Amino acid sequence: MSETSDAMLAIRDLKVHFPLANGQVVRAVDGVSLTLRPGETVGLVGESGSGKTTVGKTALRLVPATDGEIRIGELDVLNASGRDLRRLRRKAQIIFQDPHSSLNPRMTIRRAVAEGLILNTSLRGRALREKVSETLIAMGLPPQFHDRFPHELSGGQKQRVCIARALVLDPDLLVLDEPTSALDVSVQAQILGVLKDLRAERPSLTQLFISHNLAVIRFLCQRVAVMYLGKIVEEGPVEQVFSDPRHPYTRALLSAVPVPEAGRRPDRTRLTGDIPSPTAVPKGCAFHTRCPVARKGLCDTTPPPRVAAGGGHAALCHFAGEMQTT
Amino acid sequence: MAPLLDIRDLSLVFDTFDGTYHAIDKVSLQLKPGEALGLVGETGCGKSVLTRAAFGLVPVPPARITSGSVRLDGRELLGLSDRALRGIRGSEVAMIFQDPMTYLNPVFRVGTQLVDAIRAQSGGRIGKAEAKSIALDMLDKVHLPNPDRQFRAYPHELSGGMRQRVLIAMALAAKPKLLIADEPTTALDVTIQAQILDLMAELVEDLGLAMIMISHDLGVVAQVCSRVAVMYAGKIVEDAPIGRIFDAPAHPYTQGLLAALPHPFKPVDRLASIPGTLPDLLHPPAGCRFAGRCAQAHAACAAPVPLRAVGPQHRVACTLYEDAAPEGAAHV
Repeated sequence: MSETSDAMLAIRDLKVHFPLANGQVVRAVDGVSLTLRPGETVGLVGESGSGKTTVGKTALRLVPATDGEIRIGELDVLNASGRDLRRLRRKAQIIFQDPHSSLNPRMTIRRAVAEGLILNTSLRGRALREKVSETLIAMGLPPQFHDRFPHELSGGQKQRVCIARALVLDPDLLVLDEPTSALDVSVQAQILGVLKDLRAERPSLTQLFISHNLAVIRFLCQRVAVMYLGKIVEEGPVEQVFSDPRHPYTRALLSAVPVPEAGRRPDRTRLTGDIPSPTAVPKGCAFHTRCPVARKGLCDTTPPPRVAAGGGHAALCHFAGEMQTT
Repeated sequence: MAPLLDIRDLSLVFDTFDGTYHAIDKVSLQLKPGEALGLVGETGCGKSVLTRAAFGLVPVPPARITSGSVRLDGRELLGLSDRALRGIRGSEVAMIFQDPMTYLNPVFRVGTQLVDAIRAQSGGRIGKAEAKSIALDMLDKVHLPNPDRQFRAYPHELSGGMRQRVLIAMALAAKPKLLIADEPTTALDVTIQAQILDLMAELVEDLGLAMIMISHDLGVVAQVCSRVAVMYAGKIVEDAPIGRIFDAPAHPYTQGLLAALPHPFKPVDRLASIPGTLPDLLHPPAGCRFAGRCAQAHAACAAPVPLRAVGPQHRVACTLYEDAAPEGAAHV
């Protein structure tokens, strides 16, 4: 694992807990460490309630952290204030799932994209106009669209506006929270193409891609981290994790993915039951209640160790070393 | 075998303030008893409207059925009274939907709702005690853990996957011949989706149930269905056995959809996207509705393009295949 010094985003032992009125505590994120090197695209995958979105939002300080440390470049995110916080807002951008609710319905898209520049830079007048047009055109929105309002655009076009709005400030870090989940497959393909091209056009841009869709992660990301109940249970290079998963949850997740091919897949690991509530995370390994290989007296009492599998691939499981791909 | 469901030349329009919106245009679709068909298409293609219109669930007005016929087991459904249709829905045809919470009443226990539904489906012939035993039996069949306990639970006490199991139990209690499943797993997580798809495949097989599964996801359809019909802008553009759809898709739109899908287990460098947008269905083109976005469009595409057979049980509406089969072979 790379050290904090050369990382673009470094999350150390992050905890985000939400106290409820009845005294219970939702442990949305419960000890997450994740490092993104400059220019890297890392996928964060998990089911609802796994805490993946909370990690993304906390990384940009949109949600207060309970404990831990987050650095974006040299900046201490959780303790930044004043000028530093302003710099953070400029350097780290986020794109959400629903582009419609992320755009002000009363602003033309030109205005929406210009706003960040007006707040953060001294660009005005013609220079501002040109920068905005240039960015929108680069995202595949020709000039005739620039004075339209969000409701006059399709879902895919609106998501392009959101991407343009994030990129116009030349951020170092881009957090993408399910950016294609609300789109049809043919439109999703366009947006995924735009995002993949970014990697070539802006080699220093670091992307944290949050999604529940494993096929999309496989297409776009170099590394992947799998979350379950507030913890990263497995991480590593995408190819390695997908072809040789070491955590039983990752194996189950991969075998549950609907594959666009005829014929049912024989190698199915099925999980029984639902994800436990994050207010009552099971003791020991949080996954033991649904795990097909859990052992009594071990998995339900002792938190699993982090077992490295080489090449930055590691899993949080007592049996990670014994897992063999069949 | 005589078809269980036989939709012929069904056209449906919506009268709007902007004009007449041609939502469904001369759609023909047959389903054999026990067959599981996937109805696939993107937002606005008419897949949900088609199945709802067939069973009188699209409000008229603003909708208007302008042509066609819908036969279930040989009996014409279009023109039946609401009362007669209510007798068919629930007992002969059942539906499940995307968001199970919306279809359960939050203030009644799951068991109460099941019993009420079962009694209503029977037209009052089944008593409370018998309905309860059928309900418990069904909850067991859909593999709901602790049926006795869940019977007394309120919908909010169940997870999304469990609620969908309850709705499947409710839908199948009256032993319908046909189940319409409209995006039944779209709101569920991947591991839960896999459980529900397994269950549906099992039930289709065990109960000899015919099913139309509406989905935007070809991967989901591939888990359960043996045949796929692809819809685009209110028309069926291709109808084929599941293997053919993936191995030899004929229509350029089907080919485009497949090329746009990222694959979880294969490295894909680029995804093909389909340029352009849906045609304006207030003024639909007279010919192929996909021609405006199709790289292979030519002059013949401006004239109406019927579905033609291009292989065993494989029909496609595309001029590229005009010569493959004689006229009249369209309805096999």
